[in-house]
Amino acid sequence: MSAHDLLVLEDVTVRFGGLTAVSHLNLRVGAQDLVALIGPNGAGKTTAFNVITGVYAPTSGRVALDGVEIGGWRPSRICRRGVARTFQNIRLFRGLTALENVQAALSGAHRSGLRDVLRGPAWHRHEVAHAESARGLLARLGLERFADARADALPYGEQRRLEIARALATGPKLLLLDEPAAGMNPSEKEALRGFVARVRGEFGIAIVLIDHDIPFVMNLCDRVAVLDHGEKIAEGAPEAVRRDPKVIEAYLGADGEAAQAPEGRAQRGEAERSS
Amino acid sequence: MRGRGALLLLGAIAALAAAELALPELLNRYYLTILVRILVAVLAATSLQLVNGFTGQFSIGHAGFMAVGAYVSAAFSVYLGAGWLEALQGVLPAGLARLAYFPLPLLAGGLAASLAGLAVGVPSLRLRGDYLAIATLGFGEIIRIAILNIDAVGGARGFSLSAPAGVDLRYEGIGEIGAVVALSMFVMARLVYASGGLAFRAVREDETAAEAMGIPTTRVKVEAFVVASFFAGVAGALFAHAEGYVHTNSFGFVRSFEIVVFVVLGGLGSFTGAALAAAVLTAAPELLRGLGEWRMILYSILIIVTMILRPQGLMGSRELSLRWLRRRPAAVAGGAA
Repeated sequence: MSAHDLLVLEDVTVRFGGLTAVSHLNLRVGAQDLVALIGPNGAGKTTAFNVITGVYAPTSGRVALDGVEIGGWRPSRICRRGVARTFQNIRLFRGLTALENVQAALSGAHRSGLRDVLRGPAWHRHEVAHAESARGLLARLGLERFADARADALPYGEQRRLEIARALATGPKLLLLDEPAAGMNPSEKEALRGFVARVRGEFGIAIVLIDHDIPFVMNLCDRVAVLDHGEKIAEGAPEAVRRDPKVIEAYLGADGEAAQAPEGRAQRGEAERSS
Repeated sequence: MRGRGALLLLGAIAALAAAELALPELLNRYYLTILVRILVAVLAATSLQLVNGFTGQFSIGHAGFMAVGAYVSAAFSVYLGAGWLEALQGVLPAGLARLAYFPLPLLAGGLAASLAGLAVGVPSLRLRGDYLAIATLGFGEIIRIAILNIDAVGGARGFSLSAPAGVDLRYEGIGEIGAVVALSMFVMARLVYASGGLAFRAVREDETAAEAMGIPTTRVKVEAFVVASFFAGVAGALFAHAEGYVHTNSFGFVRSFEIVVFVVLGGLGSFTGAALAAAVLTAAPELLRGLGEWRMILYSILIIVTMILRPQGLMGSRELSLRWLRRRPAAVAGGAA
């Protein structure tokens, strides 16, 4: 934790009617940190993501990015400010190609106007540069061979990767991965771990990822925060958190072994292979 | 690339000029009227395609914006334009004067409709799915009924484009109308098929994800809606000036619904598909006229059978283009049938 934190959650509470999804959450993420947010189902992990990305406004408390309060901003504005995310149940632009998915997210892509109609030489240069940087990003993430395939025709693991590529296309400082390992088998998970570590190194960004599974985040993350019933019950180095009695209790009741924590809802979302 | 584009443009102009000169000789007035109606339907359908097919919003009040375009352009011509046209005819040969005047009421109608689109779109595009459909349907009716109660444009009697002697506000030139429709489609296609236009399709595919990827979804939806309304207004203006008379009955819910049918039947996400469906379904009731009372039954069966055989629409989300024609000559016969 550096003095200048990239993301600061201070006493953030999110309430839906009588249900408190996130309660007095404090979390700090420094530039280039790799933090895991774990906890049982319904612990408020995704709600925490939603409040950071602007899907929900915090009921109370403060969300700040780079010292600027962003709580309650529209998601698109927060994204342009430098926070990108993936979704628990992959939300690609299914009918578009992999390349178009990345292109749609590249910053400045959402401007259309008269120059698109007139199409002067500057437009053509911009269009070529735009497609090239999208292709370059796909190549960096090992997805170039899928560039012209429809997103929903990609294999499941590659769809997860493409979603990360699309998030990276927005040029984030902070990347939020919502259960990137969901539905993966052990060898795919292993590959994903390497991938996440590489992304952090190569892009020099901070990453917060959600998972159920302590072993998965064990050798990957610098720090683990554990949520249960909307509250943070532990935070620290993975090894310490794993042995924390409160964490063990949250996962398995009073006695048990946290390392055998539930694998998560490992239903594999069948990637539809429509042509 | 550039040379080919210029050649295409010249070819299109030549074809339109030929149509303008030759068709009135070859076809009687009845067929010419149908041809104009087809062109108006094509523009209405392709403009709605931008909203329903490319941006994924379900709007079913499109005829309301056509009505705004039709009435505003008609009022423009009757109250302002007739004088301008007369003055123009004083300095220019009649044909040229009419050619110079013709774009003005179209622009007036288009701009008025796009303003209406902005007023309707900003509040209602916050709604999704069914709710948006109901809101647009309601607004379409409100627009129609509001016009019905404005006496300056004839109210329930309808509104004739009458003008002083020597001035004719009617405009039925197939070449010019075709040029306006082609130019409009060209503009919309260029907006969509560019990197900037990916925002429309991203919103269609997944609004939540699009917003999370930095795309200001509300603005993108309003943009699509305003542009679509503009061209619906132009279509209405073309219709008003070709018929020489407008009545709110032409812009009721049934008309809106027809346009949605063109879009869905043509294929969501295909301008040329919507154009094809609009042309076929506008011509069909006329071609089937010989069948008497069986006509509308056959028309309905035609729609049902098409939906069964091609649930994704005639063209799916593909476009019929020159490049496509060249690359897949085998598929074209089926697609264009």
